[in-house]
Amino acid sequence: MLQRILMVEDEPDIQEVAQLALEAVGGFTVKICSSGHEALEAAPDFAPDLILLDVMMSEMDGPTTLEHLRRLPSCVQTPVVFMTAKVQAHEVARYQEMGALEVISKPFDPMTLSDQVRGVWMRYSDGHSAA
Amino acid sequence: MTPSSNGALQAQLQTLRTTYATRLPEKIARLREICRAALEAEADENEIALTHEARDKAHRLSHNLAGSGATYGYAALGSIARRLELALLECGGEDRIDARQATRLRALFEELENELARIASGANGKTETVPAPRVLAAVPPQDAVAGNDSWRRALQDNSHDDHDNRLIFLASTDAELGKEVAQQIGYFGYDVRSFALDETSASIEQLCRALIRDEPAALLISESLCREEAPSQNKDFHHGVLDLARRVREMRRGSTSPTLPIVFMSYCTDMKTRLEAVRAGGTAYFTHPIEIAEVIDKLDALTAQEIPEPYRVLIVDDEPELSDFFSLTLGEAGLSTRVVNDPLQIITALNDYRPDLILMDVYMPTCSGLELATALRQQEDYVGIPIVFLSAETDVAKQMAAIGTGGDDFLTKPIRPDHLVASVRARAQRSRAVRSFMVRDSLTGLLNHTTTKEQIEIEISRAVRTKTPLSLVMLDIDHFKSVNDTHGHLAGDRVIKNLSRLLQQRLRKTDIIGRYGGEEFAVLLPDTGAETAQRVIDEIRRGFSHIHHGAVVGEFYVTFSAGIASFPECSNAALLSGAADKALYEAKRAGRDRVVISSTMCVEA
Repeated sequence: MLQRILMVEDEPDIQEVAQLALEAVGGFTVKICSSGHEALEAAPDFAPDLILLDVMMSEMDGPTTLEHLRRLPSCVQTPVVFMTAKVQAHEVARYQEMGALEVISKPFDPMTLSDQVRGVWMRYSDGHSAA
Repeated sequence: MTPSSNGALQAQLQTLRTTYATRLPEKIARLREICRAALEAEADENEIALTHEARDKAHRLSHNLAGSGATYGYAALGSIARRLELALLECGGEDRIDARQATRLRALFEELENELARIASGANGKTETVPAPRVLAAVPPQDAVAGNDSWRRALQDNSHDDHDNRLIFLASTDAELGKEVAQQIGYFGYDVRSFALDETSASIEQLCRALIRDEPAALLISESLCREEAPSQNKDFHHGVLDLARRVREMRRGSTSPTLPIVFMSYCTDMKTRLEAVRAGGTAYFTHPIEIAEVIDKLDALTAQEIPEPYRVLIVDDEPELSDFFSLTLGEAGLSTRVVNDPLQIITALNDYRPDLILMDVYMPTCSGLELATALRQQEDYVGIPIVFLSAETDVAKQMAAIGTGGDDFLTKPIRPDHLVASVRARAQRSRAVRSFMVRDSLTGLLNHTTTKEQIEIEISRAVRTKTPLSLVMLDIDHFKSVNDTHGHLAGDRVIKNLSRLLQQRLRKTDIIGRYGGEEFAVLLPDTGAETAQRVIDEIRRGFSHIHHGAVVGEFYVTFSAGIASFPECSNAALLSGAADKALYEAKRAGRDRVVISSTMCVEA
């Protein structure tokens, strides 16, 4: 079941509205990390069901963070969704090759962000009947 | 979500939005400060210092604005910021930028500040969902200068020439042929610059440099591309030409301007060569002998910078939050939307809005989407309009049943925005194309006879309702039969196409142009009185009389006569058409090549 979401995003504007959107609209338990490093520290204890990862961050970018996350035993299988500006189909494919499930584009609509995340989860759990 | 918790959420969102708005001026000021050197430089200063670190900072800031703008309800600001982001990326990795890049940055900053001012003045109450049209198409409100229709017309006028890029490059190995092609294309209002390709790589380099410097709307390459039949045996040069096309595409990559269309003109008809041209990035391929009208059509299509009128989507869903989300998503993708939350209001919306497609929720309290679709399809007028259903229903059998009742597609919620946009856009596009076939004349693309007559009725009704003048012009080409007899039917067709194109170029988007008969045209000018109409049509008459309708045997000139009648002098469609016809007859009788206003007293018998 999808309940705990870890969001890695360095821009305060996005952090605020996303937290509101996910908690109030989706009812999720949300933890926000402002950098890849913070996320690596927090992930094992928080044990998220799904990770939302911004691509463009100033210190460690999304793809690099993902790489490091996958080395943590608790996060090897955790579904990860990238968030970035509107992407084209071939870029989505590239992100998926890196290990992300899907890509959610920015800017997002706060009213439907939770729906989008839930959609990703549904498609993911269809493929993994153990979920 | 319960209504009360929804209310609380909306309040919180509103608070966030207000906070975001108060931070905007500071962000933009910081951006400005970083880019100050570029913004304050002289217009022709060419080496402006802007370190790539500074550019990175600016890029990050504009990326932030682009990525959050629409989320907070400031979609327009967000999209300007996105363009700024791309423009900064385009500046490359050096520590300076050139005059052209600086000019673009300046323009974008101006847009940004204007938008900020608009937001500050409180103009932005709701999230924008419709992309701002470039062309002013709506009739201004009644309180504009009343009675002075030529002033109003001038206000609405948009000269196509100002916006379209008419510069074309023509690169050719055959000088004579190149000159002829350039001349013919020039008659149609294009500015053609010729380049000789003389089999050296130097000539290709020169062309490339000019391409970067002058940014033409299209590149025509006239070359014999056949491997076997090439006049020159220089295979390297042949590869060079194809390579040129590839390089041109590389150059444009990453820039914000669209890819340069490349049109090949060649002697080769074989598939292999055509494929090579496609792989090299060719947008079109014509074989000699070239039919100039075809090339012009292609160039017109490629160079038109007017944004085609956005597809219109009617959203029928009882949940305002969801319908607003769809509105936002489709709006961001460039489509226009209107929302109907009460399905029973659908007919009014259909008549007023005339959508290209209906996006319909299946489960609504008053009636199901399926019932609604069935009822709609029973009316002849709405048999053809595409209906796309939206539902959380995942049962395939039920989805199929929905399609059986008259839906065209079934999308399941939750839906990814890009999936929604793609499905909707494809269907709206096709719907519009199909409808076009039914109402347009195939040779000219103007409205056909039946549709033109319908439009006269529609425009009169609108003129009555809005109490504005309306002029109808009946236009007939002079001595057309002898054009056909002397120069052939193909030449006659070309004359008709040229007049059509001229009318479309010179009239407004809101004017209606129809091909009424073989050589007869009808033009409806809303919000225009007889005198103004006469002035406009007379100018076009003069222009048309100067066009060389270049034929194989000598050039020739053609003129037309026209008659004008207006509402409110003529109070209904029948009177209007009758009076305009009579005026046309008078023009012919008085010697042709003139525009006459009806003197008929249009009184109902």
